[in-house]
Amino acid sequence: MTTTVTPSTFTMVEYDAGVITGIADELADKVGLTGVDIEIEIDETVPLGRNRLESVDPVHIWVESGAFEDAKKFRQFSEVNAADVLGRHLMRAADRRSDAFGNPADDGDLSLEHRAAWDIYTVGRLTRLGYPANRQRWLYDFRNRHGFTDVTDRIFDELWNGTDLTWDRVSALSDEAAASNSGKLNRKPA
Amino acid sequence: MKKLISPEELGRDDRFERADMMDRIADPRNATPPEDSKRGRPGRLTPDRADASDSARALMHGIFVGEIQALEGAGRTCYDFEVGKGDDDVPFELKLDMARQCWDEARHCEISVKLSDWMGTGIGEFSENAFLFQAACNPDPVLRLTGVNRALEGLAIDVFNTMREFGDLAGDPVLEFCEDWMLADEVTHVKMGSDWLRKLTVNDKERQKKALEFQKVVDKLFSFGGLRGEEDDNPIQLARRFRELAGFDDEEMEEIAELSREARAEVEERGRLAREANVQSGV
Amino acid sequence: MADSKKPRAAFAPWDRRELPGTFSVEETADRVGQYKWTEMKLFEALGGWVATVPELDIKMRLGTHCYHHAWHAELWHKRLPELREMNPERLTLPANDEFVAFMDAVTEPGEHDQTIEKLVGVYRVLIPHKIAAYTYHLNNTSTITDAPTIRSLKFAIADEVEDFTDGTLMLTSLIETPEEVERANAHQLKLEKLLVASGGICGPGTIGDAYDTSVHVAANGN
Ligand SMILES: [Fe+2]
Ligand SMILES: [Fe+2]
Repeated sequence: MTTTVTPSTFTMVEYDAGVITGIADELADKVGLTGVDIEIEIDETVPLGRNRLESVDPVHIWVESGAFEDAKKFRQFSEVNAADVLGRHLMRAADRRSDAFGNPADDGDLSLEHRAAWDIYTVGRLTRLGYPANRQRWLYDFRNRHGFTDVTDRIFDELWNGTDLTWDRVSALSDEAAASNSGKLNRKPA
Repeated sequence: MKKLISPEELGRDDRFERADMMDRIADPRNATPPEDSKRGRPGRLTPDRADASDSARALMHGIFVGEIQALEGAGRTCYDFEVGKGDDDVPFELKLDMARQCWDEARHCEISVKLSDWMGTGIGEFSENAFLFQAACNPDPVLRLTGVNRALEGLAIDVFNTMREFGDLAGDPVLEFCEDWMLADEVTHVKMGSDWLRKLTVNDKERQKKALEFQKVVDKLFSFGGLRGEEDDNPIQLARRFRELAGFDDEEMEEIAELSREARAEVEERGRLAREANVQSGV
Repeated sequence: MADSKKPRAAFAPWDRRELPGTFSVEETADRVGQYKWTEMKLFEALGGWVATVPELDIKMRLGTHCYHHAWHAELWHKRLPELREMNPERLTLPANDEFVAFMDAVTEPGEHDQTIEKLVGVYRVLIPHKIAAYTYHLNNTSTITDAPTIRSLKFAIADEVEDFTDGTLMLTSLIETPEEVERANAHQLKLEKLLVASGGICGPGTIGDAYDTSVHVAANGN
């Protein structure tokens, strides 16, 4: 099993492929992602921070350089941000590769709500693996997707604290929260 | 205490990090137009964008530091000028307006801190640039008022309206409530700028022209190469209805929309030239 | 309800306001002009400091207080024409050169590391003095003829007391070491001396003369 970072040397941002590989390897180990190659493709020409998991065999993660950037220093690398983005994708890749978890649709076909619910379940587990996250940030993200209701907050807690949830359970919880949302959101796939 | 300070002299605690604008300008990634990214332009800031909550959090932090600088700018205008009738002086009532704005901006800072908590953003999580205060350093009171209260406070109207709509669409009662209140204050501040520009230059058309020119420079700069505008994919939309309340006429709003288009075209052109240069130098 | 045509006392039993007051129209106008001058210097300085104070909570509080004093300046500005001064700028003056020196010293600190000095000047020296001067004026002016000044004084005093509390809380939180206690006290001492030399916001007699025993005797009808 190998981890490859592309490009191997950066000219536009001050990132180190070796450091990124190290972070990814440690994360993969902790989330139980074994026996598969990992490819991390960084578009260093774009300062935005969009990112996605493109495949799970090999695990291919695409990010724009802003996703790993220090929010306070242009073009400088942030280990915390890189671990946050990579951690979520690697954890979700592990979920996708696990028979017990079930079969979510491709990322491009997931609703924003389902995707957000999965993120909460993912980040909650990452915090327990030693990768701290700002809970309020994720609560806000979840509320934005599912509505600002007590039901949403209760379900957030269930996802955040969840262990061994299946995709059916994650998506059912998301649907339950979304049903309580009287907001005007126009729902589209992520 | 000395008069007329520079942005470098603003007081900040250790959580804040000033962005070095030279670094930003020198960032070679500026050469890539967003549409060249795998995912295209990010588009208008609405809750159905995949990165909506993180973008809103980053914008909220930008609003927060903007409010601090607006507070500082209004405060300095209370202090930097004497009451009098000379070109470097201001009327007593103008100072009173600036003190009122100082209080309003202090409340906006407080609101922004609470909203940042609500959205899960830490104070100083993102870097700060001092563009806004720079406009509040103009030593000519009429130019300062026009640049700050018509251009920058006008931008605040656009930003708050965008965030208010964001909160409304997402069903976020706290965000929508706060932005609506701040929007009311910003309309008042822009109106102050429009009223003082008219009063102070009623017999000096040359000075009025100079002030409006300065406003245009600030407006263009703060269109951020197309971040603010009237195209569908401008993340921040020009808020015509509220600008009208604040004393802008149709022609002036059309001019701002045009400046935003120009700013965007210029950034795209700069990107094209930089790309060509990169190709030639083998980057 | 009793018969509405039945005559009542013009001043009800609970209303014991009196006609005489200590100040003439001219004296009142002079004081009001001095108040306006001082409130202006204060709100301008608070506005200026907002930019250079690094402590976020204090920065925001000073922005709020800046407006309080601007509003007081406006109240006094509007009162002057009602006191026969049609050109308010003419009476917008300090009491004397010594009071100017005092205000210059209060507003002088400008550096990032001088928040203690900034706050000491305003909240330990100037504002307590203003509360004293405004209270003296409130208690000595005619409660009937000068009711408009009384109304403004009451609004101003309410703000001053609230701001004094804020300022005391901010200073208490900033002063953490014996050295900082000494720093604050040294600055306060310097300013108090300047204030005493000026006699106060309205010069000598700002809060009357506590050693004039005749006032007490007369009030008792002896
Ligand atoms: Fe504001
Ligand atoms: Fe404003």
